[in-house]
Amino acid sequence: MKASVRHHGKVTVVDLSGKITIGDGDIKLREAVNALLDEGRKAVILNLHGVSYMDSAGIGELVACYKRAAEKGAKLKLLNPGGKVQDLLILTRLQEIFEIFRDEREALTSF
Amino acid sequence: MGNRVKIELNSRISYVDLLHEMTEDLARRAHFAKPAALDLALAVREAFINAVKHGNGMDENKKVEVEFERNAVWFRVRVRDEGRGFDWDHSPDPRAEVNLDRTSGRGIFFMKNFVDAVSFNRRPGKGTEVVLEKRIEPPARGQAEPGRSQ
Repeated sequence: MKASVRHHGKVTVVDLSGKITIGDGDIKLREAVNALLDEGRKAVILNLHGVSYMDSAGIGELVACYKRAAEKGAKLKLLNPGGKVQDLLILTRLQEIFEIFRDEREALTSF
Repeated sequence: MGNRVKIELNSRISYVDLLHEMTEDLARRAHFAKPAALDLALAVREAFINAVKHGNGMDENKKVEVEFERNAVWFRVRVRDEGRGFDWDHSPDPRAEVNLDRTSGRGIFFMKNFVDAVSFNRRPGKGTEVVLEKRIEPPARGQAEPGRSQ
């Protein structure tokens, strides 16, 4: 998995690509989000457009990132989950926890 | 593939991607469409991770045996650990309101959702066997078997 970071004022967008799975993607996701939270970033969008699939560890890490962000007074939102990832978010009912956007501009102005 | 393929892996999480790719490839050769092949591979992935972590307790000296078998109707994968096994009967429902924000506990749920049937067999003194079954989709008329030239 790859993660690249863009800043739009106070909002940070993390473009993720590849797969978020045990032993690789989950660790990179954790490191990317932790680094932003440690910098004091309070508004983070994970762009999932390039993510092909996740396993249970990847889904678990997504939830862990959400909880860590909340603990630090930050908000973590999701953008553009693709076919399989969208299915997984629905299957696990995580679409009821996360704010999920299709349009980046709308996501950016939602904080 | 022939009707049966069996591999034995040490209990290393890092082997899961190799197993995932192998499963997808064998599933495609058995005429599964890409999304169905991915579902089967995701289920096998979760079974392997369970076997390594909860079955064999991350002991790299213990083996995980994975056996693929197919006939005209179904594709079956058996994942066997040689450890103390795991408690599949009491895995909490990850879709229950109270469990939605849990960071773990979705592996068995994923297995059950990605294949048509899952069974768990205790093998006294030998560990646990997870059996995953997925029905094979009949190929469209005139469609070549993936991986074979026409």
